[in-house]
Amino acid sequence: MEFVSPEGLRLDGRRPMEMRQIRAEIGVVAKADGSASFEMGNTKVIAAVYGPREVPNRSQQISDQALVRCEYSMANFSTGDRMRKPKGDRRSMEISLVIRQTMEACILTHLMPRSQIDIFVQVLQADGGTRSACINAATLALADAGIPMCDLITSCSAGYLNSTPLLDLNYVEDSAGGPDVTVGILSKSDKVTLLQMDSKLPMDIFENVMQLAIEGCKAVANYIREILLENTKQLEYRRGT
Amino acid sequence: MVGLSIGEKHFIQGGIAQDIRTDGRKRLTYRPISVETGVIPQANGSARVRMGATDVIASVKAELGKPTPLQPDKGKVAIYVDCSPVAAPMFERRGGEELATELSVALQKCLLGGKSGAGAGIDLSSLMVIEGKICWDLYIDCLVISSDGNLLDTLGAAIKAALSNTGVPKVHVAMGPSGDEQPEVDISDEEFLQFDTTGVPVIVTLTKIGRHYIVDATSEEESQMSSAVSISVNRHGHICGLTKRGGSGLDPSVILDMVSVAKHVSEQLINKLDSEIAAAEAYEVES
Repeated sequence: MEFVSPEGLRLDGRRPMEMRQIRAEIGVVAKADGSASFEMGNTKVIAAVYGPREVPNRSQQISDQALVRCEYSMANFSTGDRMRKPKGDRRSMEISLVIRQTMEACILTHLMPRSQIDIFVQVLQADGGTRSACINAATLALADAGIPMCDLITSCSAGYLNSTPLLDLNYVEDSAGGPDVTVGILSKSDKVTLLQMDSKLPMDIFENVMQLAIEGCKAVANYIREILLENTKQLEYRRGT
Repeated sequence: MVGLSIGEKHFIQGGIAQDIRTDGRKRLTYRPISVETGVIPQANGSARVRMGATDVIASVKAELGKPTPLQPDKGKVAIYVDCSPVAAPMFERRGGEELATELSVALQKCLLGGKSGAGAGIDLSSLMVIEGKICWDLYIDCLVISSDGNLLDTLGAAIKAALSNTGVPKVHVAMGPSGDEQPEVDISDEEFLQFDTTGVPVIVTLTKIGRHYIVDATSEEESQMSSAVSISVNRHGHICGLTKRGGSGLDPSVILDMVSVAKHVSEQLINKLDSEIAAAEAYEVES
């Protein structure tokens, strides 16, 4: 099947190096300490952060740092075919673990000992790149909750089909069976905190694809910074300064 | 879950006794309701309803299935509620299951009628394709994104809005050569039948705090309730279902009074919902 036409257009009309349209909004769940929604094309996710708060289970608390927990869940209606068991399946548990480890790398946990930070991510619509959208949403939600972080983590995916590196795969391109590289970076320090790949890729092409994904992450980071600046201006305005 | 000091509790109860609630509303006033339809493009119909800070999404998916032998001339509807952990930390993993099951059962009672299918608010015979062989199965999936009290009313409103937005594809049937064979069905991609929702009821929950009842309680007010009665009323003022929650006993005359108050409130709610749904659909067509 052809994923890149001879003129260089993908199935949804994008160019190979073009990301899908991103949209983010802060403060979507009123009761959460911090929340955000993030859309990458047709993939829509909501992240909510509760914390820092007391650890309900005393035996789990860590004396010198905060405990970070994460849960990833997909809505019944998020995929094309209705899902029977939206929670607790292995894929959800794996992604929960991945998001937790990624966000833990940037949260300054030593500033909040004996407390707990809960990150919950809910996928409303899944069209490829849910992992990346979740990490981006979690970053915004953590910022909205005022949790101290050393940097903003952003994530993006890239693949390689019809001998072309493609940025930000959607569901159809992802299911094509080609390689799918997901990268998460610390945006200011340019360090990679998350790197996952499916399928196989020769080393030199892998470098290109990973570099493309990193470029995508930087573009997302710029957008996220704009959103946070805009949000801060709104807060300042409401305070009357 | 909701920690209130004694002073706050007295404030809530005293305010309700004087017809002024903490957010300034009267006892029988709803919070601002906003409706968005078509939020889930891959579903047959969907809606997102916000009542104050309570936020839910309902989606309707239609699949072809076989009718039950007991009711060969009716389609099937299944309602499923999921409480997202995004709404409250206690909903993580299986924490939200109990509440979700309670809400699913209450919604089924209010909207789907009895076991025989009689008296259903949703017209199941319109989901027929071939009697006894093929019918439409509607799967209504609800997701609670933010919970600030009055979940049942908001879910009922979201289901009503999602059903208004639902288009069931037209099916062309070609009979097989012999009468017993599975007939071939061709599901049209172009033509849709808008679902008829004039008979779908709304749910009004009356929460009793002290000696008075309020409508559309926030989660703080719900923590002070002695009991709550949820009544589903349709456009003609008929009661389609009734559920009582809470441990405190109620005098039968109080329940009858609550039912009449609910009928009165439901008229305004139905009008408000209808206008919001119409506005949302118009907005969706424009964009």
